[in-house]
Formats: sequence, C-alpha cells, structure tokens
Amino acid sequence: MLIGTAPQGAPARPAGVPGQEERVAARVAELEHKLGDPTDETNEVSYTRLLQDDEAGEISAAGERILDAAVLNADFVPRAEGGRLERIDTLVRVMRSVFRRDVTLGLGYGVTSFMAGVNVWTEGDADQRARFARILLDGGKVSVAYHELAHGNDFVRNEFEARPSVDGGYLLNGEKQVINNADRAAAWVLFGRTNPAPGSRSHSVFFAERAGLDASTYRVLPRYDAVGVRGCHLSGLHFDNTPLPDTALVGELGKGVELALRAFQITRSAVPGMALGATDTSLRTVVRFALGRQLYRKSVMDIPHAKATLSAAFLDLLICDSLSLAATRAVHLLPEETSVYAAATKYLVPKLLTEAMHELSIVLGARFYVREGEFGIFQKHIRDLPVLSLGHAGSAACQATIIPQLPRLARRAWFSDDPAPAALFRLRDDLDEIPFADLTLASGRDRLSASLIAAIDELPSGTPEERTVHAIALKMMDELRRLQEAGSSLAPEDRTALASPATFALADRYTVLLAAASVIGVWQQARTAEDPFLADPAWAAAALHRLARRLGQNPPDLPAAAEARVHDEVLRRFHDRTSYDLYDAPLAG
Amino acid sequence: MPVPTTGHTVESLTTWLGERIALYLKRQPAEIDPTVPLAEYGLDSVAAFSLCGDIEEDFDFILEPTAAWDYPTVQALAEHLIKEFDAAKGGAA
Repeated sequence: MLIGTAPQGAPARPAGVPGQEERVAARVAELEHKLGDPTDETNEVSYTRLLQDDEAGEISAAGERILDAAVLNADFVPRAEGGRLERIDTLVRVMRSVFRRDVTLGLGYGVTSFMAGVNVWTEGDADQRARFARILLDGGKVSVAYHELAHGNDFVRNEFEARPSVDGGYLLNGEKQVINNADRAAAWVLFGRTNPAPGSRSHSVFFAERAGLDASTYRVLPRYDAVGVRGCHLSGLHFDNTPLPDTALVGELGKGVELALRAFQITRSAVPGMALGATDTSLRTVVRFALGRQLYRKSVMDIPHAKATLSAAFLDLLICDSLSLAATRAVHLLPEETSVYAAATKYLVPKLLTEAMHELSIVLGARFYVREGEFGIFQKHIRDLPVLSLGHAGSAACQATIIPQLPRLARRAWFSDDPAPAALFRLRDDLDEIPFADLTLASGRDRLSASLIAAIDELPSGTPEERTVHAIALKMMDELRRLQEAGSSLAPEDRTALASPATFALADRYTVLLAAASVIGVWQQARTAEDPFLADPAWAAAALHRLARRLGQNPPDLPAAAEARVHDEVLRRFHDRTSYDLYDAPLAG
Repeated sequence: MPVPTTGHTVESLTTWLGERIALYLKRQPAEIDPTVPLAEYGLDSVAAFSLCGDIEEDFDFILEPTAAWDYPTVQALAEHLIKEFDAAKGGAA
C-alpha cells in the first residue's frame, strides 16, 4: 500500500490506528471489490448490464443495492455528524470507482445528495445537520431543487416562491424543473424567493422533509427523457400553497444566493474529478480495442496517430486530476480562494475530458457508434459525460464567476502573493476537516498561480525533460503577465455577465494556466514520493507541453523519451489494471 | 490612482457611484436614480461584484464583495461607504 510522507504539523496518531490515507485506500478497495469486474459478463453491475439498464431508462438496481450495502451515503456526511466525509479529495477518489462504471449511478445514487448536503453542512443548524445526516445514514436520498428552466444559471431571477406566512413558516408556490431524484427523495433542499424585490438578497434555502409536508398541496412532475444519464430520475416539483415550518430555513433569510455560491464551491471543485472516472474507463476501453485490432498488418496500437491519441488522453486525465486535486485540497487549505479554483475546475475539467473522449472516439472508429458489446460502454460514457458541464453551473457561468475577479487578481494577487503550501499538491497527506464557514465569495488572492512563479527558481534543469518543464513554466509566467495586463484594463462592461467573448477567452486562458500550475505543483511534490512514474519529469513535461500548445504557445519539442515513457505507462496500467489518474489505484477490472 | 477615503460626502460618493454604474449599464449618469434598486436597471450579480472591486481599487479600501447586494441603491451604498470610511478613519486614529 502506498502511504504518503507524514505532513508537517499533522496530529500525532497512535500506531496501528488507520489514518486518512489508509481509510480512503481501504474504502476505494472495498467499493472496487463490491462492484466487481465490470468487464465480467456474469457481474450484475457489468458494463453489459449497465448498458441494458440505460437502454431501459433505469438506474441499476443491483448497483444501488451494492452501494446501499456499502452505505455510500455515509461518505457524504461529515465525520462530526456521524459519517465518513473528512476530505473532499478523498471523496473524489471514492466516487471515481462509481463513475468509472456508470455516470448515472454516480449522480443518481450519490452526487445529488452530496450537493444538497453541502448547503446544510455549511449553514444548517445542529438540528438540521443531525436530521439530514439521519436521512442519508438510513439510506434515504435528498434532492437539490434549485433549477428553473426559464432562468438557467441566472438563478437570481428565480421565481419559485417561499413566502413568509402570516401564521409563521412559509408557503411554497411554483415549480422546480429537471430535479434529480425529485420523485424518490426523502427531502429536498429548495431554493426559493422569499422577497419580491429584485437583486441578490431575495432568496433563501430550505430543507424540506417530505414526511412533514401536506401531500395534497404538491406533486411530482413527469420524468424528462435525456440524451445521457438516461436512468437518472430527472423530474420536477410543483407546489401549490404548501406550508413549510420555520425550522426548514437554512441559514439566514434572504442569504440564499450567497449560501449557494459558497456551498457549491465544494461540489464544483469535487464533481468534475469524480466524473473523470468515466474518461478513465473510456481510455481503458480504447486501449483494449487498440491492442486487439489488426489493421494494415499491425495492431492499432502500432499506428503512430492512435498511439499518440491514447497517450494524450492519459495526459489529459493527469492534467484534470492535478487541477481537481489542487481545487479540492484548496477547500481545506485555501478556502478563501476556492471560488476561483472551483469555477476553473468546473469549467476546464469537463471541457478537457469531453475533448479527450472525442479524440478517443476517432481511434475507436465505427465501434464508437455501437451501443452494445465489448466497447458499448464508450458511447454511453460519451453521452453521459456532457451532463457534467450542464448541472449546477454551466461552463459560461463558471467563466462569469472568474471574470469579475480578474481585475482584482491582476492588481493585487499576481506576482505578489505567497505560494500555496506544499500540502496543496500532496496526494496522500492528511488535511484538517472541511472549513465550511471559511468559504467566501471572492478574496482577491491566488496562491496557486504564485506557486508556479515560485517554482521557476526551484525547478531542476538537469535532464531534457526537466528543461522542458522549466521552459514551459517560463512561458506560463509570460502568460500570467499578459493576463495581468489584460485583466487590469478590462472595461466595466467586460466585467459583467454580458462581457465580450474576448473576456470569456481570458478566463479560459487563466484556467489553463491554473492547470499548468497544478501539474507543476504535483510533480514537484511527487519528486520525492515513492511513485516512480509521478516522480519522473516525463509526464509533467508532456502534460505541460499539451497545455502550452493549447494556449498557442510555441513550446520546445518534447523529448522522444518522454513520449515513450508516457506510452509505456498507458500499457503498464492497462495490463496491471490500475487507474488512469494520479493515484494508479488497483481496479477490479 | 487611489482616492483618499477622507473628505467624501454622501453627495460626492453618489456622483462617483452614479458615473461608475452608468458605465456598467451603458447609460448616462443622469439616468441613474439613486433611490432605485440597481437590479431594476439590469445590473447583474456579476457586475455588482465588479463594482465592489472598483470601490476597493479606487478608494484603496477593502469591502465585502456583497456590499452592493446589501445596499442595493446608489444612495444606500453611498451612505454605507461613508459609514465604513468613518469607521476606518476612527480605527486608524
């Protein structure tokens, strides 16, 4: 088992008591064992069976039974409330095992309840937290009902009403649409208008338990049929003067927008990294295809284009995981800066994963279009994955979160902040519990990019790979300088949700830079760790090379040895059945 | 260039805010009624954030990013800023 170096300042632990790393590694192994080998046709949660469920528009009953037996819901409940949740990055690792097999199960079994939960863990009182924990630990589900089709991510304009009633409590009126598990949840976390005035202080968050509601006053709307996650129970809720007690209000009256924007920083930083599991499986599926199929008297794997595409997909997974790692650990270590990192992760990771899937589909060729059989899971994942950039903050909404912060970052943070603590990039180091109360809407600081600047003086330059890393780090520094110039001179109209496409492009480039900073940080910390692949500069050089090209930089040629090293690792992990992410975790199949 | 936080009045800040908000909305400052909620003019929550950043920058003064949500008109925001400036001055003295 891989155990990280003990962090500085970590609480001393008696020998023999499992620590955070042992706990998460054991949990991942347990889920892998219980869910079994997905390529084994006799497994009740095999890809074949999951595809059949998808065709039928059903969530895998066997999958839900296994996750119930494993009490996966406990992973969404903080330890202080009786659950297992202690770190966001470790939750991501656990959920990846589910998403590798089925995005529907990942979202439909779990993520919805987790999203609802972060609101209650952030601002709920002790009684609400205890009641919420009870529901989940008893195997119940909670829906997160924010969405109204007419307003999309502009949820400040939401109309669903929770009007304070003259008799105390609130009266619910209106509809919430495309709500996961609305039909079967034991409770809903609702976002409702509590004041008719326009603006951002007119909405509040409610924790409405189904058991206490007058069933004659509300109804569940018909299910939506979607392109992907076809087994998810996406429906809606219609309320007609439904009374809700005072005790349902989460946090302060009128502070719902702020609560949502704070709490969802946690899910925005976490969910993309969970869904990375779907692309991990897709890469493994295409590697299997490429090794087995003969064309032009060679296996597809011997065709240079195919080989390069597979390596590129692996690098994209490592890039996404590096950014995801920094963003999820930032929740603990740099909570005041998380708004930007979470938005960057929610924006860039789904985009890179989706692009990687598209490239992989080209190698798969016509097999990509087949809905069943050995490679059928690929087309399911490629249909399911886009839901990731739709739910709870679309790509443009994430860019709009970053845009108003660019001028402040340009003036106050870049080239002057201290670098992030090394622990931000250390995969297996312990972290203190989630500081829900410290999440803030904007801080004007950015210690992740400061780590990149600091690294330039520290990076080694002995080998060709190391020199590539260093050269690209310098180019990224130039990029940050250009961003600083552009960001500090944005016209007022370019600092609104209606900013110009060029301003949205600035936000895009900034997220790529944050990904580069994360890759460099992870490699720097891994150099002394025990994983020989992560310690090797080859992956970092190759990953940075991709990011530099993405920004239109003209990076030096990648040493051929680095490409070979990455390709060999793709093959080794395929044969060893380990994960295509930073953790190289053993998989059931 | 930061403007000192001393020597301001509700009137001078009302003028400054009106001009700045007019830029966001692409309107004339005279069109901005100091008593009408900014959201009614279509100032979105993103722009409200940016406005707080502008105040920070021009007055070299750290402001809650949600100030424009809590004080949703030009007049309310100007009065809030005067109070905050006075408090900061008191703290410094």
